[in-house]
Amino acid sequence: MGDDLAQLDATAQAALVRNGDATPSELVEAAIARIETLQPTLNALTTNRFERALDDAKLADAGEGVATADAPFRGVPFLLKDLAIPMAGEPAYDGMRALKEAGYVATETSHLARRWQEAGFIILGRTNTPELGIMPTTEPEAYGPTHNPWDTDKTAGGSSGGSAAAVASGMVPAAHASDGGGSIRIPAACCGLVGLKTSRGRISVGPGSGEIARPLSVQFAVTRTVRDAAALLDVAAGPEPGDPFVAPHLARPYADLLGSEPSPLRIGLMTTMPGTDEPVHPDCVAAAETAARLLEASGHKVEIAHPSALDTPERLDAFIPIWSTMAASNMARLGRLIGRELGQDDVEPLTWLLADHGHKVDSVAYTDALFAMQSFARRYMQWWSDGWDLLITPALGEPPPDLGVLSTPDDPYVGFGKGATFTPYTPAANQNGQPAISVPISQGADGMPAGVQLIADYGREDLLIQLAALLEVGAPWSDRRPAVHA
Amino acid sequence: MTDDFATLDATSQAELVRTGQVSPLELVDAAINRVEKLNPELNAVIHPLFERARAEAAKTGGADGPFHGVPILFKDLGCQVEGEPYHEGMKFLKGADFRPKHTDNLAKKYFDAGFILIGRTNTPELGLVPTTEPVAHGATHNPWQLGRTSGGSSGGSAAAVASGMVPVAHANDGGGSIRIPASCCGLVGLKPTRGRTSTGPELNDISQFLMTELCVSRTVRDTAAVLDSVNGPFPGDATQAPPPSRPYLDEVGTDPGKLKIGIQTTNPIGGTPIHPDCVAAAENAAKLLESLGHTVEVAAPKGFDSDELIMQFGAVWAADCSYLLTDWGKKVGREPTADDVEILTWALAEMGKSVTATQLVEAVTEAMKANRVAAQWWDKGADGDGFDLLLTPTLGEPPVKHGTFDSTPDDPLRGFFRSAGFVPYTAQFNMSGQPGISLPLHWNDERLPIGVQLVAAFGREDLLLRVAAQLETAQPWVDRRPPVFA
Repeated sequence: MGDDLAQLDATAQAALVRNGDATPSELVEAAIARIETLQPTLNALTTNRFERALDDAKLADAGEGVATADAPFRGVPFLLKDLAIPMAGEPAYDGMRALKEAGYVATETSHLARRWQEAGFIILGRTNTPELGIMPTTEPEAYGPTHNPWDTDKTAGGSSGGSAAAVASGMVPAAHASDGGGSIRIPAACCGLVGLKTSRGRISVGPGSGEIARPLSVQFAVTRTVRDAAALLDVAAGPEPGDPFVAPHLARPYADLLGSEPSPLRIGLMTTMPGTDEPVHPDCVAAAETAARLLEASGHKVEIAHPSALDTPERLDAFIPIWSTMAASNMARLGRLIGRELGQDDVEPLTWLLADHGHKVDSVAYTDALFAMQSFARRYMQWWSDGWDLLITPALGEPPPDLGVLSTPDDPYVGFGKGATFTPYTPAANQNGQPAISVPISQGADGMPAGVQLIADYGREDLLIQLAALLEVGAPWSDRRPAVHA
Repeated sequence: MTDDFATLDATSQAELVRTGQVSPLELVDAAINRVEKLNPELNAVIHPLFERARAEAAKTGGADGPFHGVPILFKDLGCQVEGEPYHEGMKFLKGADFRPKHTDNLAKKYFDAGFILIGRTNTPELGLVPTTEPVAHGATHNPWQLGRTSGGSSGGSAAAVASGMVPVAHANDGGGSIRIPASCCGLVGLKPTRGRTSTGPELNDISQFLMTELCVSRTVRDTAAVLDSVNGPFPGDATQAPPPSRPYLDEVGTDPGKLKIGIQTTNPIGGTPIHPDCVAAAENAAKLLESLGHTVEVAAPKGFDSDELIMQFGAVWAADCSYLLTDWGKKVGREPTADDVEILTWALAEMGKSVTATQLVEAVTEAMKANRVAAQWWDKGADGDGFDLLLTPTLGEPPVKHGTFDSTPDDPLRGFFRSAGFVPYTAQFNMSGQPGISLPLHWNDERLPIGVQLVAAFGREDLLLRVAAQLETAQPWVDRRPPVFA
């Protein structure tokens, strides 16, 4: 089925409610119908909470519930990625079979889940993610692959692939996502969405996680429009008590930045592969160049330039020790949640290999990795202090590959290794803590979306939102619909 | 000799230079004379840099900043200066005649502010204990009573400032190391918010997230003005405190309003009772605060009192100690052995070697959770307790005699455990990243200074400085001089 609501972004759906043209129940019922139609084809959700959502919507109809009557997104349907955003009393599986089999139910609600609900969003379910969010594709053994709505043979990207497929296909206007190496920007690029990776400390990961223990990961969302990204950031951003550090606060709402242009900027464009002579796919290069041309036409100065640190082999020194430690640490933590130690049979081969390696990392080697991360950051971020405002890169090095290319359980490191040329541009921002946005500026020869990544200095989401809005006007994408759409 | 400058704070000395009443060289020469006179008794300065200082004073008078021409000392831990001796209290580095190949960000800020470096001050080995008695350089004495600790780890800086050698000295705080010596020596010691000053490029603000840096001073206005000069991030800093809305110096003299203050005089980590002198210091401060219109009640945050957390935190310290020894080994070109370091250092480093990366991540995660619980106490929201400040004694005991925290071959961790009763109030706020200040508001019957600590919510140095200045006016301490004074 198709309904008119599927075309509307979260801001527009919220306006319907605010103006009395639709009730939260109507929005939620329509979204449930869309999910039921599309889910068999896409496998974007792992669990749903339709009954609870309908109850939440009825409360919202009456102006009751956790959201106040003037909450900005009152009644708008939303999905949470099934990774690291628990809600008390509800399942949370992190892509793991063992948690599902144990019937795990979370005991606390994350700050961000609470904020989404307080903003008025009605949460309809949880979206698919690779096990522990490790892969740039969403093909967990436990829940099966999520399909790309533009071509169901292709990956939706990862690790927020379920959320991206759900939003791109029109199930919901926006969905929660998180990014520890590109996991917001990669699926956004694969599915033709706006994916903003926020600054470290912009959005609290508490109370269950800690920004210092897990310094690479941030949380936010994937959206179809830039105005949604801005408005969602306004409700998600800001410190919670006890956050170990806090990104600099912007005095005015991000939503107010739309339509205001920054003064002329000095922008670097990079279309080569970091650190190697490997080719970047022409569709990906074209996305970056299109964005560069549009920004140049808007009066900004674009030069071929990028931080030289990106080409040094040290750029990746930190990742394997940190990621493998995270895999080991997460397995141990999740095992404690269900009361038994997780072993090789409980996880996918890649997770096991990484966790097994992670268990052997000692604290000195781990600290070394954190030093490698920061020493890279100090060299890399100097570029912004040297007078550059923005770096433009392709969001991906290659268009979305077929399912089964990146996830190769029989020989796990084969697929994992292919991430090097698929996602060469995204991990740096996680190491540096800086914000970056993937914008679906163009399409490849095969009709698949192609994203450009804009990277700003620490704390400068404001600049990214202003420039992404410029690109949205210059090369509008909101009328492009994938093959599988409500 | 006594000179007129010894009693002047840095702000006054800078004013003399600015108004042409005195030259930088006169200030520097006078400070050098004071060091030469007092240091044989106190052993506060371990690396005199007199020729460098005189040359700079004669040539440029220091950079054109607010403290142009004012002499300063740097603690010999942090604030590394390229080419100058640097030992971190280690005979291992002393024997190697180690000299850094870089200048730290914070040192650059001090230089840019116009300060002239005249030497480096004593510190315990790797700053591990709250007293300054390294084997490498011998004990620093407390100017209020020789043979007693000046505190640690910034004990050299505190003795130097308290005795009038210099008006302010650099100090840093990973568990109390600014506040402890400030309390012992009758000084103002502000530990700023995590990320307020840059600890790079030497330190890593993710793995070394406990450490913050600033100074010890005799007046609140000096601390405020120094903070104005040296705060702010450098490119690549992972943690950046929310920037102040106006200069900190403007807070000095600003009415703090009526504050809600909780006082805690019991031992927050259990065990040793707090010494009556320390209880009296906090209780007298409470009366003073009440007389100024504030509300004081017996109350304290929860969250930091778990034994498990303390043990896990021991693991973090031990792991960092292991890392530091490994790292110094790389820089010196040979691995340190048991003979190269003190008993406690070796024992901690050995402990740290058995800590795994996953244990480290878990310990940090638990600390972050504890912070979130504790932070509710300061939170002004619906779920918070709404306190503005926590008032405690800075220390659990008056300044102890030298040797109190010695470790022995039979009991290598003795110093660590014995000092727990001395410093029960400070390290929590290195975990949380909140600002805390020790103020010299009390002296016991032996004429030993007994400091009180005020702790504000994350990022609220402004509030601490307002109330500190209010207390300084109500009960001035600046004319109290120790027996050993220039």
